[in-house]
Amino acid sequence: MKRILPITNTVIAVISGVFVILGYFFPGSFGGIQSVLIGWAIILAAFALLLGIFNLAWVHWKKVSSEGKGHVYSIVLLISMLIMIVVAGISGPTSALTLWIFNNFQVPVEAALLALLAVILVYAGVRLLSRRPKWNSILFLVTVLLVLLGAVPLYFLGTIGPLNAVHDWLTQVPAVAGARGLLLGVALGTVATGLRILIGSDRPYGG
Amino acid sequence: MTDIICPLCGRPNPPDREECKYCQAPLKTSGFAASPEGSDDLHELFSTSGENTEPEKPPEPGASDLEQAIPDWLKETEASFKGKFEGEPEEPIPDELSGKPDSLLSPPSESPRPAGSAIDDEWLASLLDEAGVNQPDQATPEQPEQGKPFEESPEEAAWQPQSPAEDQIEPEAPESTPKAEKPLPAEPAQKPEWLTKLEASSNIKLEGGIPPAEPEQEKFPHTEALEEEPEQQTPPEWLAKSMPEEAAEPEKETEKKVEGEIAPAELPGWLEAMRPSEDLTPTGPVEDVSSEDIVTAGPLVGLRGVISAHPSAIKARKPPTYSIKLRVTDEQKARVELMEELLADEEKPTPLPSPPVISSRYIFRLVVAAILLLPIFWMIITKSQSSSTPQPGNIPGVTDFTQQIQHLPAAAPVLVAFDYEAGFSAEMNPAISNMLTQLMRKSAYLTIVTTNPSGPALAESMIADVYSQQVGSRQSYPYYADLGYIPGGTLGLLGLATSPKSVLPYALSGYNVWAGKPLDTISAVKDFSAVIVITNDADTARIWIEQIGPQLQSSEKPLLFVSSAQAAPMILPYYQAFPSQVQGLVAGLAGGVAYGRSIGNIQQNGIWDAYSIAVTISILILLVGSVAGGIVKLLASNKKEKS
Repeated sequence: MKRILPITNTVIAVISGVFVILGYFFPGSFGGIQSVLIGWAIILAAFALLLGIFNLAWVHWKKVSSEGKGHVYSIVLLISMLIMIVVAGISGPTSALTLWIFNNFQVPVEAALLALLAVILVYAGVRLLSRRPKWNSILFLVTVLLVLLGAVPLYFLGTIGPLNAVHDWLTQVPAVAGARGLLLGVALGTVATGLRILIGSDRPYGG
Repeated sequence: MTDIICPLCGRPNPPDREECKYCQAPLKTSGFAASPEGSDDLHELFSTSGENTEPEKPPEPGASDLEQAIPDWLKETEASFKGKFEGEPEEPIPDELSGKPDSLLSPPSESPRPAGSAIDDEWLASLLDEAGVNQPDQATPEQPEQGKPFEESPEEAAWQPQSPAEDQIEPEAPESTPKAEKPLPAEPAQKPEWLTKLEASSNIKLEGGIPPAEPEQEKFPHTEALEEEPEQQTPPEWLAKSMPEEAAEPEKETEKKVEGEIAPAELPGWLEAMRPSEDLTPTGPVEDVSSEDIVTAGPLVGLRGVISAHPSAIKARKPPTYSIKLRVTDEQKARVELMEELLADEEKPTPLPSPPVISSRYIFRLVVAAILLLPIFWMIITKSQSSSTPQPGNIPGVTDFTQQIQHLPAAAPVLVAFDYEAGFSAEMNPAISNMLTQLMRKSAYLTIVTTNPSGPALAESMIADVYSQQVGSRQSYPYYADLGYIPGGTLGLLGLATSPKSVLPYALSGYNVWAGKPLDTISAVKDFSAVIVITNDADTARIWIEQIGPQLQSSEKPLLFVSSAQAAPMILPYYQAFPSQVQGLVAGLAGGVAYGRSIGNIQQNGIWDAYSIAVTISILILLVGSVAGGIVKLLASNKKEKS
């Protein structure tokens, strides 16, 4: 059984991958089976999300039971989760009560985190030169200032044309070039990983 | 009555005893019975080998007294030997053995023996030793030399059986052997000397004894005839077969030399070797157990030198206790205490100096936050609109976005994906609200999907807020369906592109939206009039473009994006490409304000001024702080170099 199960997993994975790829090239012949396989994968992903929620609750429950460090936060999490499950389960996920909780708790908390990030980034930029007075630090700081100056019209000064052009060039050429390079690398890695899974040499599902 | 010989001490015991009266060893199982009769006793001794257990056969009619006196074991030995050599065909001698005639001449069972072990019966030797009888040389059959296996000792000759067929054949007596040069005088067949002494010394009497042997001439009546006819001195037929030809020839020469002499009555070597001497041992090798303890209980009671099987012998005893206290000197104790003190000091962490609650860094952070937040609060409170708002033509993608929605037919089904995080609501809400306003003006049927778990709630809130602003009261927009969350990420989007009905069959409210208008005509994503994706993540935008875009391009349906400012640089190339994969883009707060202007919504409620002044102050803080920090650092390094 220990030998048969990995082989079975490999066969299932390879056949599924081949059918999904053939569905791209021959949608008339393999589009149907491709849709079926994708539907199964979506169901499995939803079940994985459910398992993740249960696992999160279990981990924090154990933390509360053992009274470990920061177990108070775990208590807050469990209570919040319980309240939302009860409310959304009874009144529905788009009810007024559910939306009120969402708009008055989750949205402000997440926005506050981003606002705090803005303040911290400014503070870190100020201390950059005093902490690390290097040429790359100066280059980084100058780039930030140029992008900010060209992003919005300055208060009392308005839009500065050359700064807008610099901003556009910085965001469209160097920034996108770097990001695209990263994406190409990720895509090549994804293709290689997919091929390895298709030929059965890489078995992330075990075996 | 038959005595029982003790297997341990070797002493006879009465037959009615179960244990040896001398050593208390059990007799029933391993002892053997000794007959008081002499001949029977000897026969019993010989028959204890376990092989000669057949009853004594009556003498054959016509057999002489000498033949009747021959022991059965000797007769059987001779018969088996004859049968062995007569029954087996003569096999050719292998080449590798032909070069070793001497070794092949010896009997097959013969093994080299030490010269001193003439009597190979240990039990007999021990009995003789007990009796104090020295073993005379003439009574010990000498070991025949190699290549001369047919020599006989006188004693062996006396025991040699003579069958009628062999009467005319005189046993060979090679001249080369010492005993052949000095042949012993013919003695009458009587008890051997060693047996006589043994009988005298032992309490086992040979009652019948061996019948007196006839004179040599009577025993071997053919001797004279052989002297007269030496040429006829040939070995017995069965013996001749066993002799190799190579060995027979020199023996024939020897026979010619000793013709005329009477062969001494010696037991042939081969016969000596075949005697069941080892089997006659009454008991096995006896170990000297006189110094061992006698078992007093259990089934092995009375035995000496054995392990008792009684449970008391193996009864567990309490193991001896030993003190675990270490014997250490005072000096060692002092060293141990010193080591313990050192280890105790190591375990104690050195307390770090607690930082002051209010430090310069803390104050500086508060100052930065206050400088940033206070103007923002002021602008929002006053709803300032002093800053110039961006124009739609200056922001790429806004004009196209507006036109694509404007070109949609009335009540057209539009797929809207709310794939942004709640934290980006402040940046993206102006663009989303303007977009929803334009769509609601067209009475577009909004089909809401999301790959973000918080997306459905964001969508419901935004739709409710925008429609409430339009109608002036808190009402829900009637032309929309919230299909909810799509699990699976990329796979979920692929499934949505190919078969949205199977991926999201029901709305969050629970009814089947695909059964009624206008979604009953939708079988794939390309059947929607437009797809609008709202996201703050460049990767999410890329996945939508890669999975949904090809189907929309084939049907020439627009794919529109509302994104945050951080994702705009990655989406913009898809919009600027030719042919473009994204037909419209509204990015960030600037794009949202410009888009609002394009649809006639110029009210911004001070957000744009707050954004502008926050960015300006951030630039100032960065400039001033960096320059000041750099100067301070430079001065500090100069001081350090000088010092």
